[in-house]
Amino acid sequence: MTLAAIDELAIRRAKTGDLSALERVYRAYESTVYSIARRICRTEEDAEDVLQETFLEVCNSVRRFRGTRPGSLTAWIKRIAASKALMRIRADKYRDTDEFDEEGGAAARAAADVGLQLDLEGALSRLSDTSRAVVWLHDVEGYTHEEIAELMGKTVSFSKSQLSRAHARLRRMLGEEGQC
Amino acid sequence: MLRHCTMSELLEIRDGGGPAAARAHVDECAACQDELDRLHQRVAMLKALPHVGAPRDRWPAIRDAVEAGRRQRWYQRLAFGGLAAAAALVMGLGLRAVVPQANPVGDTMVDPADVETLMGESRQLEELLATVPRGRVLDGLTASAIADLEDRISLVDVGIDEARTVRATPEQVASLWRQRVALMDALVQVHVREVGYAGF
Repeated sequence: MTLAAIDELAIRRAKTGDLSALERVYRAYESTVYSIARRICRTEEDAEDVLQETFLEVCNSVRRFRGTRPGSLTAWIKRIAASKALMRIRADKYRDTDEFDEEGGAAARAAADVGLQLDLEGALSRLSDTSRAVVWLHDVEGYTHEEIAELMGKTVSFSKSQLSRAHARLRRMLGEEGQC
Repeated sequence: MLRHCTMSELLEIRDGGGPAAARAHVDECAACQDELDRLHQRVAMLKALPHVGAPRDRWPAIRDAVEAGRRQRWYQRLAFGGLAAAAALVMGLGLRAVVPQANPVGDTMVDPADVETLMGESRQLEELLATVPRGRVLDGLTASAIADLEDRISLVDVGIDEARTVRATPEQVASLWRQRVALMDALVQVHVREVGYAGF
């Protein structure tokens, strides 16, 4: 079953609160939502909680969903998932060590990153929660810096600097250092 | 430009922007072109990472939570319905006790036309609400305010139904419809304000 078919056929029944239709929506979007959550959150448990919180909100708010364009249901559900995942990493901010980096700490970490030659998954997991979320939302999910700033409750400059910082670290960790 | 591009500049160039000097530099500098290519490749690799499946099926827990929420709302409405019926009854009996019975057939203090007017206003607000674009994710406070207003409107609706059953006076009915119009008005304002913030 394609996502478009869910948009067209099940959404009207889901809006009436029909649990079997809501389950169809869940089955169609479970993997998409979990993937976003898993890429943004640090642990599997957090990502599972985000999955559950996202679909609870979908079930409770779907009667207010007014999207009609193709893909609008997907965009709506993804945005809820991103919002929940960001709330989760905000709650776990004490683990987000990059937030508190001093200049010296960043330099020391830059030196430690060189020669790691990690694969992409490994490198992503070493980014701070915030940087990883910005990279994922901007470069993979296609959110603009303005949208990310709104979701995070931060400024556009914050989103841009996090992205730049994340790419600089990824480049080092992947062993891609060039002359630039 | 006498220096290589920074990562910020390369990201801006990749997104179709960036300072003109930086763009001109990339056109001429092989090292910066390579860096920009690597950036494109890295993003392509990110996009190619496989979807991750949830290790456990969360649907049973979600379904249970949704059903529990519905039960709770149903009990709240039932309780309000009982309260509304009791209140209407007490008001009716109280009014009969204090209002002189000179005109036992028509002890109305509100013109039934007023009720019709209030019903019309409520209908207009419903229609207006239907035209407000929705679908964006709301912040927690706004979503909670909207849910609260919707719940209160539902409760007033239960009261209006009960008022019919207990044959409430036009004044009592008008009071309920007045509450409904006020709540609908607040709901429309919250939605319109939210749309304004979103820049629709």
